[in-house]
Amino acid sequence: MLIFIARRIAFAIPTLLIVITLSFFLMRLAPGSPFQNGRRLTPEIERNIMAKYGMNRPLAAQYLGYLGGVAHGDLGPSLKYQDKSVSDIIGQSFLKSAMLGLTALVLAIAIGGTCGIAAALHQNGRADYIATLITTLGICIPTFVTAPLLVLIFAGWLGWLPTAGWGGPRNLVLPVLVLALPQIAIITRLIRAGMIEVLRSNFIRTARAKGLSQRRILLRHALPAAVLPLVSYLGPACASLLTGSLVVEQIFALPGLGKFFVTSALQRDYTIVMGTVILYSALILVLNLVSDLIYAVLDPRVRLT
Amino acid sequence: MRSAASVITALLLALALAACSGGGGRAPCPAGLRCLEAGNAGEPLTLDPSKSQNVWEGNIQYDLFVGLTQWNARGEVVPGMATSWEVSPDGLIWTFHLRDAQWSDDVPVTAGDFVFALQRLENPATASPTAYLFYPIAGAEAVNEGKAALATIGARALDPHTLQLTLTHPAPYLPLLLVHTSALPLPAHVIQRWGDAWLDPAHIVSNGPYVLKSWQIGQRVLLARNPRFWDNGSVCFDQISYYPTADAVTGERLVQSGEYDLNYTFSLPRTRYLRQHMPAYVHGVPYLAIWYLSMNQRVAKLQDKRVRLALSLGIDREFLADKLMGHAPQALYSFTPPGLLDYTPAAAPAWSHWPFARRQAAARALLRQAGYGPEHPLQLEFKYGETAKISATALQADWRAIGVDASLAPEETQILYADLNAGNFEIAWDGWAMDYDDPMTFLELLATQTGSQNHSHYSSPRYDALLSQSDQQRDLHKRAQILAQAEAVALDDVAVAPIITDAARYLVNPDITGWVDNPTNWHLKRYLCRKGPPPEVR
Repeated sequence: MLIFIARRIAFAIPTLLIVITLSFFLMRLAPGSPFQNGRRLTPEIERNIMAKYGMNRPLAAQYLGYLGGVAHGDLGPSLKYQDKSVSDIIGQSFLKSAMLGLTALVLAIAIGGTCGIAAALHQNGRADYIATLITTLGICIPTFVTAPLLVLIFAGWLGWLPTAGWGGPRNLVLPVLVLALPQIAIITRLIRAGMIEVLRSNFIRTARAKGLSQRRILLRHALPAAVLPLVSYLGPACASLLTGSLVVEQIFALPGLGKFFVTSALQRDYTIVMGTVILYSALILVLNLVSDLIYAVLDPRVRLT
Repeated sequence: MRSAASVITALLLALALAACSGGGGRAPCPAGLRCLEAGNAGEPLTLDPSKSQNVWEGNIQYDLFVGLTQWNARGEVVPGMATSWEVSPDGLIWTFHLRDAQWSDDVPVTAGDFVFALQRLENPATASPTAYLFYPIAGAEAVNEGKAALATIGARALDPHTLQLTLTHPAPYLPLLLVHTSALPLPAHVIQRWGDAWLDPAHIVSNGPYVLKSWQIGQRVLLARNPRFWDNGSVCFDQISYYPTADAVTGERLVQSGEYDLNYTFSLPRTRYLRQHMPAYVHGVPYLAIWYLSMNQRVAKLQDKRVRLALSLGIDREFLADKLMGHAPQALYSFTPPGLLDYTPAAAPAWSHWPFARRQAAARALLRQAGYGPEHPLQLEFKYGETAKISATALQADWRAIGVDASLAPEETQILYADLNAGNFEIAWDGWAMDYDDPMTFLELLATQTGSQNHSHYSSPRYDALLSQSDQQRDLHKRAQILAQAEAVALDDVAVAPIITDAARYLVNPDITGWVDNPTNWHLKRYLCRKGPPPEVR
């Protein structure tokens, strides 16, 4: 197991390097510059700005300089938010996005898992059809529809919850719900499919023949096998939830990372984009590793070598 | 199934519980204080007056700092840190007398702080985007271009309370220019100590009605009352929170629910809806800002004045302003918006009074004369950014009606700026908002020496000569006449196609008092208060 982890980490470093390299050069290939703003810049000032951010050097030198910085944990200054460093911005906003995403994920697993099991146990019954209907809706309706709708109902008409903003736990209820809804739908479907397949397999029949209780069969034998597809789904899903969603952050005026990622890409704030890409890729690599480890624990057929 | 139901019930209960614990979501305000919650459209890119250029940054900076002159509640420029000033007979030497005032750390504000701020602004190392605004100050341009030492700028502290500015040409609008955020005084003693970190809430000091208490990026900029502000007694709110409401509709909802007291901007096409649903909140008045089309006169087909005029004639400005934008902006036929101080824009062209069908007929005739027709239509690429998403298709349809085949080329803002500055376009949606309340802030955009920012590459010796002539004129009235002549020259040449004015857009809770709509769109928070008795002090 330790050798497995070590090997995966060893592979992660070149992967990360490739991601950094590709995004560094792709970002620079994109037309437009972070310093254009509709006002004229005298050539002297433009030169000064370029020099300040080291952008007067050849691209290869900038790339190597950037890699050196990253190796030392320095993601550089933001090109647009002049008083802040990339680490400041990512540090402040990632924690908030992560908290939001994690809450949504836990909620989605709890509801989605329960609904999935219920639907599988009553396959083609009423519960199954209701679950299918709800999950289809959950997957089809985009967050930019559910978010304003929920705001209208719970903040506008009922006045129970705040409209938007970051403050107490009450501010989190609606954004967490909006983030969780599509995940609930997907998780329900994954668990339902996995459960139906597992419940038909031989080892469950054997367990039934042994006279085990339904509860024991479900929780002890069927569930660990049925969650396997979910585990591999959760790795990347977790990474994207943790790093924030543009739509949800925009509509709820939340200080998360998703908004910075997208607006920085549009404004050509190279360093913020790079910092976010690095964070996101590192998260995916780590979470994929974690999901592989969980796989090995849950499925006795998997051997980590 | 039962377990699913119980989980869902538990969640709904939790939701209801959360909901029952209080009404809306207004941020808590310390007991005994008055707090203003303000939506501010965007996250400040910086709060450094020498480096910033956005209105949502200015909104905060004007709460922190007071310059030589300042805005009053009606958007007029009045004496600020300078209580009075004299001008030499040739109009070149301005002597300002400063009031006794302290920074928030009790250090006196001196003339030296103003000299320091101007030198820092023009220092090429600061890379200020607005340094060129102060080129009328002697030596500023040379310093900014790295050709002269900082000390050669024509700004001197005669004593701690007397500041002398020397100009390259008489600029009777200087007091109007000095209200700009980039001319705000800077605490030299703090910046010299902390460098770029001076804006850290732990270090920054200010001379205005408020001090910066915290700045959580993407979340809130929190200001607290500055007890050392000289006019502290007249300030009503003790605390101001600025929120970056990037989504204008979210901003609307927050004001409607009472969570915010006001929100800077609403989306123009929402004007009609807002006027119907929250009429007491809507403040949409003409703003000293214009939308126009830049027509690249380095492109052969647009060098023909008949073609430019036809394109301008063919635009149904009244439809854009009244129907599409819900009356907030106005149709525009001049290059300066109405409402500039002491200035009457050049007369609109005669055709602006024609019915639209007649303008269209004239446009078709002009295009025919220029050699275009049904078999050989004029083809153009029309570039525009986010701000013109809705107007672009209307313009395309207008032009199709006069036989022009315009293809739409929407672009990301950064690419559009790059293309405009590089002259890489045929016709493009463009806009400008005033830096200072003077026609020059618009008219200089069409001067030859403006270079890349003269996006249309319009060049007229007569226009340039009139602008230079106005620089030498000390009499404000005569100067305005010269500038109007220049504007008439540019309009006659169809240098650009003015389209509509922009609107100053705010949503303000009717309980807020002291709000005066004005075309500069500056509303300093120190003039605002809330109806009702002051909160009890415990």
